[in-house]
Formats: sequence, structure tokens, C-alpha cells
Amino acid sequence: MALKKVLTLRTVVATSAGLTLSSSTFIAAVQVAGFLAGDAAWLAILTGGLLCITAALCFSELNGLIPSAAGIRLYYSRAFNDHLALVVSLLYMAVILGVIGAESYVLSEILHEAIPLIPPMAWILVMFSVVTGMNIIGIKIAGWFQDAITYGMMLSLTVLALMALAKVDFHLTAPLVTGGTANFVNAVAVGVFLFVGFEWVTPLAEEVTHSKLISRGMLLAIGILSVTYAFFTTAMTALVPREVLANSPTPHLIFARTLLGDAGVPIMLALTLAASITTFNAGLISISRFVYASAREHVLPAVFSKVSMRFFTPWVAVISIFILGVVISTIVLITHRYLTLVNMAAAMESIIYVLAGISVILLRKKMPDAKRPYRVRGGYVIPGISAVVFSVLAIAIFITFPRVFICLALGILLSSLYVNHVVPVLKRRHQQKKAAARRRRPVASAEKAGD
Amino acid sequence: MATHKEITNSLLAFQEGYNKNKKLKIMNRDWNRVILIKATDVESEHTLKLEDGELSVKEGAPEDPDLVVTSDSETLADLFYGDITPTEPYMNGTLVLKGSEDDIVRLDFISLMIWGE
Repeated sequence: MALKKVLTLRTVVATSAGLTLSSSTFIAAVQVAGFLAGDAAWLAILTGGLLCITAALCFSELNGLIPSAAGIRLYYSRAFNDHLALVVSLLYMAVILGVIGAESYVLSEILHEAIPLIPPMAWILVMFSVVTGMNIIGIKIAGWFQDAITYGMMLSLTVLALMALAKVDFHLTAPLVTGGTANFVNAVAVGVFLFVGFEWVTPLAEEVTHSKLISRGMLLAIGILSVTYAFFTTAMTALVPREVLANSPTPHLIFARTLLGDAGVPIMLALTLAASITTFNAGLISISRFVYASAREHVLPAVFSKVSMRFFTPWVAVISIFILGVVISTIVLITHRYLTLVNMAAAMESIIYVLAGISVILLRKKMPDAKRPYRVRGGYVIPGISAVVFSVLAIAIFITFPRVFICLALGILLSSLYVNHVVPVLKRRHQQKKAAARRRRPVASAEKAGD
Repeated sequence: MATHKEITNSLLAFQEGYNKNKKLKIMNRDWNRVILIKATDVESEHTLKLEDGELSVKEGAPEDPDLVVTSDSETLADLFYGDITPTEPYMNGTLVLKGSEDDIVRLDFISLMIWGE
């Protein structure tokens, strides 16, 4: 049965890469370089990309096996249990909201630098209001626009990187000098953040003709991003001293100014806005839809499932996310702890990949005969590597940044408490209400009795 | 296991609920979609057609649907009678939807507006 509307590989790649490209990634890229002694940032980024490919292969198998926009919620529910799937999904969404908070902070700092008259808080409010307004009215970024932004962005970053490398007459002097294994592991662990969100393309599984398109799209996106990031990070650190970049929430703006003078500011401003708008918008849409779906599933209070009769959008969920997002951004603005959120996202993403690897293994045992349009070759090797390596990377982040460990542990505890104690009450209440108003059974029973 | 007739009746109940809601009809004036409803455990296919805000139900499959809703007969009957929300079976994988994410969300909104939470 053919569907009328289907997505192309070009749009799948653009969506996967576009959700990943954001303003915060430049900060993570500088952090990666900061861990290493020589010019080995490229090596850490490519290694991070390669490792993310193992995770992408796992997601490809899971996505082919269970092609659903419910994504990890459904994969983990089938592989482990619904309780764990729910705890992880709730926490993941909270972390993504944190990333959006960090993203809006970085963007507001850049806009403030470009137009100092307007304070960062005003920019945060403007950005959140615009995106919230778009989500309430139901305006979506068109596929062609997403394609143009993503490919244009990657091309521009590569061109800027080549210009910078030419300007300093760059030669790799210490391409493999990492400064030790621990430093390299930490650099790769943070480097994972550069690819955060590539798997968000899996909800498109229901919009493509073949699930293999999603696999190919994810792999291509990671490959292209790895090369772009490697080039750009090498160029940034070659042109501007690392200490200068590391102490700023806007390293890419410093880079552009150093490279092109004042003309670099509007160029980088445009690129940053382009990078952020897709991530920001997609992030808010994903979270608000998750909140709405959770309310429909009676995991969150029913009020979150209220839909606007005018625009057909879940307005309570959207406005709640707006409030939470502004609160998080304000906290980041006051504390300047955006790196904690970046590292937290890197650790959370590693945990998601660990569980994806284990899910592939468990589901092969639980559902051995289920149809798999794509199966990771080499038995359990790649899912095993994904599970083990990302566990090591998550631990590395926890050791280096104990605050991240504390925050995530607290998050898991709160999420578990909620799932254990609040969700059963919400579900019970709904069951009681529904049982009294059941429509089908009396009719069905009457008909069967008549038969 | 529900019968083909039960699924038909559930879809007619869904259509009746839809037709009673004038606002919903106005909201869907621009949302012209052909939806295939397919049971996995009994021979049962239906076509839901939304055109200019009007909803029609027909037995049999369309040629080129915008959205395909597949599940076991029990789930489909319960779903279109509004005894369960689409989200519950969707999240546990019993209900499989094929089509644009926006269309899937819209269908859920319609179900919510007809049957409530």
C-alpha cells in the first residue's frame, strides 16, 4: 500500500544533521579541543562520530523492527519493561529541555554581543515567545527550508574553516598528541554531544517508504557532521588561542571576528540563528508532543492534553514548556553553568546509546523471528561495542564532572519516584472514569447475545 | 477478537460523534485525507475519508491512503468507540500508524475532541 506523501533521503539527512547542529555544539567542540594537548581534536571528533555510527546502526535495527514515532519509549519498553522506558524517556526529555535552555543562553549571548543595547534576558524571552507562538499557531519549518539551512550551514562552516586554515598557513604539527588516554576518553565523551539528536530522525519512520532510508540518513548525517566539525574545530583552535575560546560562551563569534573582522559578526550571527532555529523549534515541538502524548497515556495530568480548538495544537503542553524553558534559561543566565547542561546531555545521550545497544541484543533474543528490514552485521559485536564504549564514556563524564553525576542521579530518582507513585494513581483514576462510561461493550455484548 | 461488523459499528459511532461536533468540522475543512483502517487478526478494511470537513466511512481499502492505521480488531473497535485513547496502544506498539507525524497527531486530536480524555 503506497502512501501519498513520503520523505526523501536528502530531507532525512538534513533533519538528522540539522537537529544536531546548534550553537551549543561550538562550545562542546572547544571543550573537546581543550582536553587535548596537540592538534588531536579532529581525532577525538572522528572517533566520537565513529562511535555514534555504532549507536546509529543499533537505532537502525530497532527502527526497522519497530517503526514508530514513539522511538526509544517503545524500543526500551519491549526490550526491558515499560517502567524503565518511562523513567528514561521522562529524564531524557528533561535533559533535552536543559539543552534548549543552554542553547537559548548561548544564542542570547551572541545576539547581545551583536546588539549590546538589548540584554540577553530580553533575547531569551523573544526567542521563546516566537517559537512558542509558532508552535501554538502550528507553523512548521518546511522540509525544503530545513534542507537549505542544514546544507548551507555545513558548507559555510567548511568554507570558513578552510579560509582560517589558509590564513594561518596551517600545518598539522601534533595530529596524534592527545596528552594521555584519560584526556582522549574525556574529549571523545564530550565529543558525543556534537552528535546529540541525530537519532531524533527515527520518528520519521512512519513517513518514509523504506526504513532503510532512516538508517542511511543517520549514517550519512554523522559522517558529514564528523568531517565538518573536525575541520571547523581544528580551524577555530588554530586561529584563536584555546584559552580565549574556552572562556567564552560564544567561541564561534570570536573565531569569525578574528577571521573576517567586524564583517564576521553578522555572518556568524546568521549562521548561529540558522543553526539554532531548527534545533530550538524541533526540540520544543518534540517535548511538547511528548508531554501531550504522556497526558493522553495518563502518565502526566490530563490538563496537558488540552488542544486548542482554533489551531489544533496542544496549547497547555506548549505553554508549560515555554515557562519551564524560560526558567531554565534564566537559571543558566544567572549561574553561567551552561557547560553542566552540555555535559549532562552528553552523559544522558551516552546512556541512551548504551540502552540502544543492549536493546538490540535483548530483542534479538525476545523476538528472534520478527521481521527486521535492517540487521546489524557481525552478531552481537557492534551492539556490544556500543553498549560497552558508551558506558565507559558516561562514566568518564561522571568522574570528570561529578556535578553531572549528581544531577542525573537526582533526575533518575525523581523520575522513578514519579513513575512508581504518581503514574499508577493517574492511571487508576482514568480507569475508574472510563469503566463507568464504556461505550463499546454493552453494544458488542447485545449484538453477540442476539447472534 | 472483534468482528468486522463491530469495527464498522465503532467507525460509525466515531462518524456520528464527529458529525455532532460542528467546530471540529470547521477545523477540518482544509484537512482532506484518506485513511485506511486495517485489522491484523480478522479480514477487515475500512476507509475513512475527510473531505471539506465531512467524514465518510466506507468498507474496503482505498488506493492511495494518506494514513494507514493498523491494529488488532479489539483495539480498533475500542479505539473508535473511544473506550481507549490511541496513545496507549500506540505507545505499547499494538497500534501501528503509517503516515506523516502531523497527520497522526491530528487524528489523535480528533479522537480526543470526539470522545474526551
